[in-house]
Amino acid sequence: MLRSCYLLLAVCILSTAGWASSPPNSGAECVSPTFRSDYYQIKLVGTNKVRGARMAKGMTGVTFAQSPFGVALSESGTYVVNLELAMQNVTLDEGMSLVAWVSTPQIDQIRVIGRFDSQFKVAGSTDWNKFLVVITLEPKDTPLGATWTGPIVARGMSRSGLMHTLAGHGPYETEPCAVYGY
Amino acid sequence: MTLLVAFTASLSGGQDHSGHNMGDMNMGPGSKIAWRMVPMTATMPMAPDMMDDVPNVAPFLPGYGMDVSMFAEAKPSEIIDLAHGDTLRMDASLVRRTIGGKEYVMMAYGGMYPGPLLRADRGSKVVVEFTNNIEMPTTVHWHGLRLDNAFDGVPGVTQDPILTGETFTYELIFPDEGMFWYHPHMREDVQQDLGLYGNMLVDPTTKGFYGPANREVPLILDDILIDDNGLLPFGESGPTHALMGRFGNVLMVNGITDYKLQVDKGDVVRFYLTNVANTRSFNVTFGGAKIKIVASDVSKYEREQFVPSVVISPAERYIVDVLFDETRDYQISNSIQAIDHYRGVFVPEVHALGRVSVSSKPSNPSFVTDYSVLRTNADTIADIDRFRKDFGREPDHKLRLTLKVHGLPMPTVRMMEIDTLYVPPMEWNDTMPMMNWLSSHDQVDWILKDEETGKENMDIQWQWKVGDVVKIRIFNDPKTFHPMNHPFHVHGQRFLVTSMDGVANTNLVWKDTAIVPVGATMDILVDVTNPGTWMAHCHIAEHLHSGMMLGFTVSK
Repeated sequence: MLRSCYLLLAVCILSTAGWASSPPNSGAECVSPTFRSDYYQIKLVGTNKVRGARMAKGMTGVTFAQSPFGVALSESGTYVVNLELAMQNVTLDEGMSLVAWVSTPQIDQIRVIGRFDSQFKVAGSTDWNKFLVVITLEPKDTPLGATWTGPIVARGMSRSGLMHTLAGHGPYETEPCAVYGY
Repeated sequence: MTLLVAFTASLSGGQDHSGHNMGDMNMGPGSKIAWRMVPMTATMPMAPDMMDDVPNVAPFLPGYGMDVSMFAEAKPSEIIDLAHGDTLRMDASLVRRTIGGKEYVMMAYGGMYPGPLLRADRGSKVVVEFTNNIEMPTTVHWHGLRLDNAFDGVPGVTQDPILTGETFTYELIFPDEGMFWYHPHMREDVQQDLGLYGNMLVDPTTKGFYGPANREVPLILDDILIDDNGLLPFGESGPTHALMGRFGNVLMVNGITDYKLQVDKGDVVRFYLTNVANTRSFNVTFGGAKIKIVASDVSKYEREQFVPSVVISPAERYIVDVLFDETRDYQISNSIQAIDHYRGVFVPEVHALGRVSVSSKPSNPSFVTDYSVLRTNADTIADIDRFRKDFGREPDHKLRLTLKVHGLPMPTVRMMEIDTLYVPPMEWNDTMPMMNWLSSHDQVDWILKDEETGKENMDIQWQWKVGDVVKIRIFNDPKTFHPMNHPFHVHGQRFLVTSMDGVANTNLVWKDTAIVPVGATMDILVDVTNPGTWMAHCHIAEHLHSGMMLGFTVSK
């Protein structure tokens, strides 16, 4: 996010210098870089399969839940974090809604975060250390059950999901797997 | 109310540390000290080409090779009530300690573990005539006290080192209620780790300052690194474990491994928690008992609240009221999610710290009804009110927490390069014992960087005035060689943590130390009241000795 903000800033600067052909208000908001880290943010990646949401994408902001200790923990020591989700490039059919869910990586436990509002935003929290965020299309007036029933519009993974076995790809190789883009 | 500081020591092990023990290596009395491999569990990853590596500093262990029986046995901590004007004579010395059934040469203030609990009223002033009887230079820092600068105990800043046999006279004042602590400010990684720490309890002078409780109990949390051959040596010229700090593998409460407390059914126990570990943060639970958070370093919270556990980083203090309403044993635990990097998973761990046994005898008097009420502390709120106008403004200083490394073993560099996809907000365990041990203070520069001037560590010398309210934005950069959480401590002043990652803190408390998790941006507001030349630093002992400190001067 920070990097993309810098890119946006660069684009804005280039725009004012006449280097870019796109108009200044082409949809990308030019925001000054902040001092805040994007490290734990979760990118929501569209599945490109759902009508009205084939270009859907989004972001989940992750912050510690309020805690007198600054770092919010559960009794078992998992982090308790607030999730602020925002989606874009979605056009909903009448009677449909976007719903956010959070699940364990094995998808053996699922909890609902809630329906997105008219601004395509919703907030919730979780106390799982590794989790998936799943955005689905659900009937607007049907009560939500224990899991989703509609198609998946987008999904994302907590940063901790990138932690994986070193044995899986050779701890003594010189190539960090980051070069492959994940 | 009874303040309990006497404990029963008995023998028990801590965490498993047998996995990679390399056996005896010249550790007999009179022999030359040598490095031996750091203890680690069998599941921990270890690069084959690191097997024979040792730190690039010489090993060192106070009292090494000396007959342990020649040292006096340390005794459990005692309370020393100090009235205004009193003078206390206290020393630091080598002592004999028993941990897990084995005897060790360690250090103690006043011959006690922990050091004596100094208890005084708010507003009082006392004198401590301190004598150094350990074979290292030392000083005493009175952590959290807003005292006269000359007595802050920082070598090279407020005083010269106290050499062996020398005495230094400290004058202590207690302007704030709460639990504070004292410790060396020279080679804390050695001296504090070996037992030089103690509490100071400053009592309020107004009635009803806290809610009622049946007992008051200090809990000092610590860990120590021991294998079958004894204490692991330290670095002679400076610390080992510079990357993550020296995690111990034996956890202790009040200097023992199986702390016990007996209470009555329905008792409300006020625990005063202090974390004196070099680097370990704890997540303390009380076996399912209800926990109410009351206060932290330098004040009560604006509002009491119930919490599932107590998250406490090095040098922090928390005051909690715990209700024991069932006749049973409650285990005090450190309940964490450790990380196993080799398998890439979080591993739940519960470390037993002690036990509270609840009798069937009903509490007398009973404070159960009072306990159910969460108090709003109007005095704290009023004290903070005049600072609220500064919460939203731009910071006066921006600090970036980062590091540079040089000369680390190549396997460490390779491993760290690979393991950069995820770094946790906090390190709850030593996830890489071998690599951590092999990183010494002269290979790692932990850095506080002033974003405005580009200055780093002690080249930073901020100039403030009494009456200033200084806002500092601290960013713990997650994209460095080895990001890690840092407990940030400011000497001689108090501060508020007003926001974390842009989210306003809704229940404020005055602090002197606060944890900055990896990737976090924390805004603090310093109430500049105390003139002098001070420092601020990371309270992980090995990070401090790897440079992570800055200076500031407060003029009148």
